[in-house]
Amino acid sequence: MPSAPPISNPAAGQAPPLVMSQMPRVRLGWRVFLFYSSAMLLTGLVSLLFADLLWRTGWSPSGVILLCLFIVLFFLIAMGCMHGVFGFVLRLTTDRRLTRLGDYRSQNIQGVSTALVFPVHNEEVARVCEGLRATYESLEKTGRLEGFDFYILSDSTNPDKWVEEEHRWFDLIHDLDALGRVYYRRRVSNEGKKSGNIRDFLSTWGPRYRYFVVFDADSVMRGETLVDLVKLMEAHPQAGLVQTVPALVNAGSLFGRIQQFANRLYAPIFITGLNFWAQAFGNYWGHNAIIRTEPFMQHCDLPQLPGRKPFGGQILSHDFVEAALLLKANWEVWMAYDLEGSYEEAPQTMIENARRDRRWCQGNLQHFMVIWAKGLRGLSRLHLAQGIFGYLASPLWLFFLLTFNWMLWYVGHTGLSKITVRAFTPFLKVNATEHAFLIFVICMGMLFLPKVLALVDLAFDPERRRAFGGLTNASVSAVAETAFSALHAPLQMLWHSKFAAAALLAAGVQWGPPKRTADGIAWSEAVRQHWAHTVVGLIWGGAIWRLDRPTFWWFMPVMVGMVVSIPLSVLTSRARLGDQARRVGLFLTPEETSPPPELAALRARMAALEENGQIAPRVPDAGLADVVLDPYVNAIHVSLLREKRQNPAFARALSDLGVGQPQVRTLCEKLLAQGPAQLRREEKLLIMSDADQLPWLHRQAWLRPSATLARWWQTQIRQYAR
Amino acid sequence: MSATARIDAPGQLAGRPLEEWNGAYSKVESYFHALRVLNKVLLGQLVALVLERAMQRSASEPQRSATELAVEEMDRLVNEWFAHVLQAPPAGAEMLSTRGRMALLLADMPGRWQDQFLRPGPWPDEFVLAMRDGYLRAGPNFQLAQMTPRPLDLGPIATLTHWSTLPYVKMAVSWAIFGLLLVLIFYVTHH
Repeated sequence: MPSAPPISNPAAGQAPPLVMSQMPRVRLGWRVFLFYSSAMLLTGLVSLLFADLLWRTGWSPSGVILLCLFIVLFFLIAMGCMHGVFGFVLRLTTDRRLTRLGDYRSQNIQGVSTALVFPVHNEEVARVCEGLRATYESLEKTGRLEGFDFYILSDSTNPDKWVEEEHRWFDLIHDLDALGRVYYRRRVSNEGKKSGNIRDFLSTWGPRYRYFVVFDADSVMRGETLVDLVKLMEAHPQAGLVQTVPALVNAGSLFGRIQQFANRLYAPIFITGLNFWAQAFGNYWGHNAIIRTEPFMQHCDLPQLPGRKPFGGQILSHDFVEAALLLKANWEVWMAYDLEGSYEEAPQTMIENARRDRRWCQGNLQHFMVIWAKGLRGLSRLHLAQGIFGYLASPLWLFFLLTFNWMLWYVGHTGLSKITVRAFTPFLKVNATEHAFLIFVICMGMLFLPKVLALVDLAFDPERRRAFGGLTNASVSAVAETAFSALHAPLQMLWHSKFAAAALLAAGVQWGPPKRTADGIAWSEAVRQHWAHTVVGLIWGGAIWRLDRPTFWWFMPVMVGMVVSIPLSVLTSRARLGDQARRVGLFLTPEETSPPPELAALRARMAALEENGQIAPRVPDAGLADVVLDPYVNAIHVSLLREKRQNPAFARALSDLGVGQPQVRTLCEKLLAQGPAQLRREEKLLIMSDADQLPWLHRQAWLRPSATLARWWQTQIRQYAR
Repeated sequence: MSATARIDAPGQLAGRPLEEWNGAYSKVESYFHALRVLNKVLLGQLVALVLERAMQRSASEPQRSATELAVEEMDRLVNEWFAHVLQAPPAGAEMLSTRGRMALLLADMPGRWQDQFLRPGPWPDEFVLAMRDGYLRAGPNFQLAQMTPRPLDLGPIATLTHWSTLPYVKMAVSWAIFGLLLVLIFYVTHH
């Protein structure tokens, strides 16, 4: 049992003291045994069938490799299926979960102080601020706003984004009258990326708060949900972290809406299944979670891993590791999967989705090191292993298919007989083809069973059924989603294999933002990203066609996805098609059929901003022009810099950056005389970090004769004329 | 504008061409516009006030353009007014200017007090209070703490992270790949 963290927030003098109550520790052994043994039992039986099939066609070393791969891959499928089955059954009955462990709603949280932190890094600033606004207004309606402070924690390295963040933050506090409630802080350096950003916040203000809630740049949370999370933490003093299950929302493209639908329909049974075996040993997904500040500060500052990339250095996917460290220190980590009102957004195109996967892949593979750390809980190792195999499964599938093709080629090339022997299971009265088909059907059944169960689960719940547009619409959507997944899966396989290989070889995969049109991915961008997939599909398919026609038809689903990847990527990125699908009742989700107030407010605000042209892309260096010329933007920026200097750590970082050195003035002169195009980004950031030079720049830009200024400044100043 | 009294020749104002004053007017007006003084009457009055001061210097500083004189006067006028309203102690012009602009924004001058901007006192108490008490807080008081990472004991696996620096490991890997290649060639050619 952990020690009770003291109340350290001076602002929370009225907070009720923590009462440590001994909660019965759940006996997890039988749950883990039952769950994983079910998956293992299935894997064993079907692997036996597969081994028998290989026996019938003749053992070979490649057959042994194929069998080993099959066992690993089938176990992963079986685990997924068991999550669905257990979740389905438990949703019909009931199970032990955090929100049912006592009456948390009667908890008094008066005086308990919680920080809501929004780490951002060159994000779409308007969306971040509007998400914060929606959360703020929702919290205000609960009457509990005084217990929460909001922080935008910027790690942005783009000078224009930096300036935009500051002025949108000011607009926000002005509109909401939230000065002293919504704060903004930008770090001088990006050390440690997101986890470093959070650590910096905690090192500066952490002791003020008993809890903090981490948001993603696109997160929104309902006020009541936030209040519930604080009450849950108060009611369970041994809980170090409670993770909500964010619903995917606000998708517009066809791809985004398909992902959103799958998330909303399937997630409940999967997460219920996950909670069955994880219980108080759950996981952290990096955002939309409440964290007890003190133990997190004590135990979750991440060390550098020994060695070089890909496994050494900074821990990239920090969330799983932080949960593991909390558990290691005897704190509990729960999934509050039945709390509604937690939202996030997802990538809107296949290419953007793959781009995100690339980051996650590298981070998750690095967990291969962490998994061996001494003292970790066994269940933490399971979470880490599942994360690793989430990405390693793709290269394993590729290897499996290639091994099978090799065997096919080998038989054809050597002219060996294809005569099969009898199965060693005499009751299996099927020929070899039927035998193979049986295994195929079982595999497909395991893949699709959770989807079917999710639909049955929906059928039993009239309210949810209506929220999905009725059972018929949901069923048709699930079939369409399955068809799309079948086409998308081979591309995921190729992408993940590439990412995993690049990560293991410590080679970076260069990937800038995809070129978009107003309605989605541009055709040229799709060709650039998918031509290799198409070529692989054509060559691979052609080779199998030549080798063995019947086998070709088995491989068709894999090949089709690759061959049609370009149009598939473009068409599914289209918002117009997403909208048409919505109109015919496809892929509807509860948040679409009946938008919660916080999401409706967010959408309305974003639409208004778009209509007013306030989120239109601006020319390069527009932010720099604002911070120099606009009297108010300059004043806000300088005031924030001056305040920042009061923190010794920030003052040191600014000094390390070169702030206050004479060369900054030289750069300022260059900026005025030659314009920003002649300065590197680092030089612009240095100027913008100097609280003494910026007011000088502001005056000089307005006072100096136009002829002494770069033409660029003259143009910018003219924009202030009526 | 009393400067009209100084029209000394057709097409001239305070000894300078009208066009030159027009340029000065535009620059000063742009700055006030940037300060969100949007009321046309007030804007016109303020620009005229600045130009009046610039014209008074015009004769004594013929080498400097009207625009230079005007923006300099504008800067001086605004800073004097900030010092007066804020009752600010003597400080650098840039420091005072920043504080003053921040105070204008926090007091919502563009929304509520455009008519008070650059006006000689006394000003309404509410305006003065809003100007003097306005302070932009980007964060609450610091409560500094130190987070210290605890090393993870990775056991023997940590050695693997240094595999590429182990002695002869690259040579051993090369030999292993070569051996596997030989096995593969043998296998393919004998089956």
